[in-house]
Amino acid sequence: MNRKKKRSFAGSRTEALVYGILSLVILLAVWHLVSLGGRIGKFFPSPFLVIRDFANAFVHAIGRNTMLEHIFFSLRRVLVGFGLGVVVGIPLGLVMACSKAGRAFFMPLFSIVRPIPGLAWIPLAILWFGLGEQSKYFLICMTALVGITMQTFFGALYADPVLIGAARMLGAGKFQLFVHIILPSAIPNIFAGLQGSFAGAWCAVIAAEMIRSDEGTGWIIFNGMNYANTAQVIVGMVAIGLVGLIASTLLKALERRLCAWNIQGK
Amino acid sequence: MNKVEVRNLTKSFGDLLVLDDVSFDVKDGEFLAIVGPTGCGKTTFLNSLTQIYDIDSGSILLNGEPVNLKKHSLAYIMQEYSTMSWLNVRQNVQFGLEIKGFSRKEVREKAERALELVGLTQFRDYYPNQLSASMLQRVAIARAFAVQPDLLLMDEPYGQLDLELRFKLEDELLNLWRKLGTTVIFITHNIEEAVYLSERILVLSNKPTAIKETIENRLPYPRSVTSEAFVELRNRVTALIKWW
Ligand SMILES: Nc1ncnc2c1ncn2[C@@H]1O[C@H](COP(=O)(O)OP(=O)(O)O)[C@@H](O)[C@H]1O
Ligand SMILES: [Mg+2]
Repeated sequence: MNRKKKRSFAGSRTEALVYGILSLVILLAVWHLVSLGGRIGKFFPSPFLVIRDFANAFVHAIGRNTMLEHIFFSLRRVLVGFGLGVVVGIPLGLVMACSKAGRAFFMPLFSIVRPIPGLAWIPLAILWFGLGEQSKYFLICMTALVGITMQTFFGALYADPVLIGAARMLGAGKFQLFVHIILPSAIPNIFAGLQGSFAGAWCAVIAAEMIRSDEGTGWIIFNGMNYANTAQVIVGMVAIGLVGLIASTLLKALERRLCAWNIQGK
Repeated sequence: MNKVEVRNLTKSFGDLLVLDDVSFDVKDGEFLAIVGPTGCGKTTFLNSLTQIYDIDSGSILLNGEPVNLKKHSLAYIMQEYSTMSWLNVRQNVQFGLEIKGFSRKEVREKAERALELVGLTQFRDYYPNQLSASMLQRVAIARAFAVQPDLLLMDEPYGQLDLELRFKLEDELLNLWRKLGTTVIFITHNIEEAVYLSERILVLSNKPTAIKETIENRLPYPRSVTSEAFVELRNRVTALIKWW
């Protein structure tokens, strides 16, 4: 096996761990010192207060819900909107890559929609779908859709012609080419699209919840701001960061399982 | 009977005329070698035969009819690496067998045989990005041999391999050819290899490419590269390509 050993800047695992802890301690110390000082200190709660509030939020409700419930609400919105984006985006990308007619039909539409940032859909989302859940799903879907479609499209379009030739030579028909060559060629790109779009979707849910909601991690932040409760704002931000981190880690783990062939040896 | 009939084949890329009105036949069961200078259009010819490229004019017939990749049993070992990176070695070799609808048992057995042939049995669970260049080429060779095609196209297949393996695979190719009656079109840079393997050698000219000379090679198999007749023939072909 010629798998190269990865070189991390900190030689060993323990070393990396020590540096990690050190950076965290310094962050908390500086934060704590700033929070003691005069003018900003007022809107700058000590890290220990934030940590306490964060832990508390899992037991005592912020607004009507505990932290886990807030996270659940946000995640549900993301999963529905993002799921819609996946269900539409992957087939759309594949159709545009594999069928000339499909590309001719969808590409002009898509080229118009593509440069519009997801958040620019907020007014239309509200006008079309109101202030309830549907407009949030729509907004998140539009944010995720573009990245997923583009990555799928390019992944499938640039499937290696040599491999397509080799498979045809062995008798593969159109459908077999699609299943055995084009789709697997596109999978690394599709995963990149999913990861990027998930991050985008997670941003969009925060924006959606700031506009109008009674729950969710975005709501925690916005509500905290309205009541000048800085600790609550930061608690919400920490929750958003942690959930985003966990989600992207899970997606990476999934990719490593499904695309072992692509990651090994890198 | 002719396996392949090439008639007035012309192929250009834009302004670059590559194949200029080329005609020749390959007999059923024949072992044909094609030698020619780099860039003269050897790969272009095989890509035209296999319909990777459209041709400008002329025709290429296989068994007397236009090439049909689904119907005709042919295998093409390309000059570029053509292993699928998402399949391991065994799955790569099984690919054609599965497409052609062999039973699970046959697929396994034929693939194992082919892996043994190219010496990759121990590496059957490796993925292509874990293999060396010569191993990748052996995977492609095993994949082609496994389907036991009746037309085998090989584009400088052994160029990357070390000598010992090359000799082994040359003999293996001859065995396969004689056992199965496969028609082989073998492109090479190596004159000795062409003389060792083939019954006939096409020597191509520089672009725009035409057939410069056809040399019959009636030396009996197995051939000895040191025999007088062999050396003489090799020198004759070498003299023809001096102008390269
Ligand atoms: N897809 C292509 N597009 C444009 N030019 C090509 C293409 N393939 C080959 N050529 C040109 O055609 C000529 C013959 O190439 P090729 O058939 O690969 O030669 P070789 O005999 O070395 O296999 C070369 O000059 C090459 O640059
Ligand atoms: Mg070539």
